[in-house]
Amino acid sequence: MTAGYLLFLLTGRIFGAELRGAVEIMPWRQARRVPLSYSYVEGLIDYRGVIYPVFNLFQRLSLKPLEPIGFIAEGPAQPAAPQSIILLEENKMLFGITVDSVVKMAKIDELSPVPQQTRGLDPQYIKGMAYDDNQEIIILDFERLLFHAG
Amino acid sequence: MILSLDGEGYAIPIDRVAEITVPREMRRNGDLTEVFEGRVEFRGKWMPVLNLRKLFKLSGAPGSVLLIVKTGKGDIGMLVDAVTEILDTDKKPLPMPRAVLNPSLPYYHGIFRHKGNLVLLLNEDGLL
Repeated sequence: MTAGYLLFLLTGRIFGAELRGAVEIMPWRQARRVPLSYSYVEGLIDYRGVIYPVFNLFQRLSLKPLEPIGFIAEGPAQPAAPQSIILLEENKMLFGITVDSVVKMAKIDELSPVPQQTRGLDPQYIKGMAYDDNQEIIILDFERLLFHAG
Repeated sequence: MILSLDGEGYAIPIDRVAEITVPREMRRNGDLTEVFEGRVEFRGKWMPVLNLRKLFKLSGAPGSVLLIVKTGKGDIGMLVDAVTEILDTDKKPLPMPRAVLNPSLPYYHGIFRHKGNLVLLLNEDGLL
């Protein structure tokens, strides 16, 4: 079944989020902090009458920046500060995620199974893989990633 | 009552606030965890003083306003940066979105929208 996805970059990897409801993309901003929340919660954003929790996806996925290939970097690579916040809806949950940058919208016909080698990503948070112009796209399972914690 | 901490607003029901004062001499005797600064005497009773900045893992010196707050577990002192205003509202607080906090740690009763900002309503009974 063909579905629409929003593709975005995080630490050099391309991820996709299925578009099920409203989606908003905004420049990164400091959210209203919530002390004693989970460590990967950046805070709350009040947008068009909805209070969205904003999750730092880099921290939630415990990602490491990808090793540069073909040259020797000076010192360890640092994660770039997230540039954008995407507000999404999945299974009636409204939430925001921080990403390095938004790539594009894409239609994807069918997801491929999760490979054995997921390069440091926990496979339980991956819904499936997709390929666009031979680029690998990791489709995340946000419900499992964000709403089944703790 | 709205108080501020590190530039952001928190609310506490005014009927829970027994006194707004300045920090006074504190007694430390090592039986309290590190989020407490010591004990102060208020109306003949000694009560623990919570450093709200430390509890909330915010950096900086303890606040310069001391609140005496009535909680379900007894009166406590609470150090905050400032008391900014009294908010009179009939509105119910909005719920905290899911998946932000560990559900077993009830630090907040909810959220108020106030002057374009989000103010977190503290659960004074759940802070201890």
